[in-house]
Amino acid sequence: MSYAIEGKNLHYTYSDGTKALNGVSLAAETGKITGILGSNGAGKSTLFLNLNGVCTPEAGEVYLAGEKITYNRKGIARLRQGVGIVFQNPDDQLFSADVYRDISFGPVNLGLPPEEVHRRVEKVMAQLDITSLKDKPTHALSYGQKKRVAIAGVLAMEPEVIILDEPTAGLDPQGVSSIVKVLREIRDCLHITILLSTHDMDMVPLLCDYCYLLSEGKVQSQGTPEELFSQPELLRRHRLRLPRISHLMEILKKKDGIGPGSRVCTISQARKELRRLLKTNH
Amino acid sequence: MGTDRYAYSSRLRRMNPAAKAILSLLALTLCLILGGIAPGVYTLIFMGCLTVLWGKIPFRVFLRFLLVPLTFLILGCLTIGIGLHPADTPVVAAIPVGGKLLGFTQGSILQMLSICSKSMGVVGAVYFLTLTTPMTDLTQGLTRLHIPGLLMELMELIYRFIFVLWETAGQIRTAQESRLGYRGFARSLRSLGMLASMVFLRAWKKADRVYCALESRGYTGTLKTLPEGYEKGNLCFLFAALVLAGQVFCYLWEVGIQ
Repeated sequence: MSYAIEGKNLHYTYSDGTKALNGVSLAAETGKITGILGSNGAGKSTLFLNLNGVCTPEAGEVYLAGEKITYNRKGIARLRQGVGIVFQNPDDQLFSADVYRDISFGPVNLGLPPEEVHRRVEKVMAQLDITSLKDKPTHALSYGQKKRVAIAGVLAMEPEVIILDEPTAGLDPQGVSSIVKVLREIRDCLHITILLSTHDMDMVPLLCDYCYLLSEGKVQSQGTPEELFSQPELLRRHRLRLPRISHLMEILKKKDGIGPGSRVCTISQARKELRRLLKTNH
Repeated sequence: MGTDRYAYSSRLRRMNPAAKAILSLLALTLCLILGGIAPGVYTLIFMGCLTVLWGKIPFRVFLRFLLVPLTFLILGCLTIGIGLHPADTPVVAAIPVGGKLLGFTQGSILQMLSICSKSMGVVGAVYFLTLTTPMTDLTQGLTRLHIPGLLMELMELIYRFIFVLWETAGQIRTAQESRLGYRGFARSLRSLGMLASMVFLRAWKKADRVYCALESRGYTGTLKTLPEGYEKGNLCFLFAALVLAGQVFCYLWEVGIQ
């Protein structure tokens, strides 16, 4: 099992004295989607900024594709090239009034020749289905369109790891489905490792291959979504909840003695279990 | 804001902005240099036709934009046209005021018309550029003319974020109004003060986050980007020659009939 990016025992304190990261260790497996679950203020965004060189951890190490990163100019450049972050608010990321030029910013900074920059920008616009937005000014885009352009801007740099800070926050249900679809395509077709943070619990089993629960500056638990959702009290203690389907299965098991309990977390799994139960009871 | 909305849908949007800028600047410059009334009128009509027929900007839109400077122009020109003259000056129309004549002379009317037509000609030339070229293309084109990169980057950022600033201020204002923040003069002033300081703080924090995002994409100190390719603007140079020739012709014709 190889890990595209790892953080070992990371410590970080804000300038006002609050300890944001208190010994955080995690690893994102290559070619998979890893989710960081945590409530507001758990330290997810700070963790990401420590993983791409914008913030330097006070203690601990970061490893990119197995090699340790030293926080000098070369090391930070290597991190920035290999790790791309899509921030939560696309208005923070889109600085140019022109969609095409905003996407070209990353490749231009990598020092690529103009033909290569054009090729990458066009490829990425086709992949994210935003070629029709090419001629539009940034301020005329909807929130969902801006999110896609922000992802495109990072994807055009062809990083090894893409980190997304709450990618589905603020999107309407169709918007959420389309982002989930886009991320799955990036994992399956482009084989880029994805690390994302979320507290949209219903989306987690559909998207994440592995999860970490971050709270109070530490990793409280980790595992596949099923393993994590088998510990409902732990989730609730850290201000999260089960996906709705898991909650239903938990209550069915606890109060009615029916079914396998909260580790069932998607609709298709629940359907399978319920049909099995109905068949055996008749 | 304003002209940019139309620039994005103009037929000339994809044409090389440097070519369009040269056409506009040449027409503008000669219009300013040449005296008289005819060159200015010709410039306005010629550049107006280019904008509407070639650039595919609706005529009504062009007319509406022309009205904006026209109002200021007429008011300003009236102060030039009307003067206080000694009692026996030949006037076109005047009223006697305290022993002197307040009104128009033939010379002052001609001067008025000349300034008006010159200004409107220049406005027509500038509108050709701004109604067919989005702001971002303009700034790119200007960088090529060796205007300092820092100035251009500032212009671009201001243009991009002014919308965000406007929206934020609007949202805060609506929230305040919903809580009766603008009832009465003293209260309105206080609310306005809170709005201003809040917008400043938000802008400052936002700048921090934007810088963070830029750094994450490898910001090296310049906001260098690559625009998509442009169409060739050779036709602009043909039109430039036509407009300049026409302006000179009009000037000579006017001088001839005087």
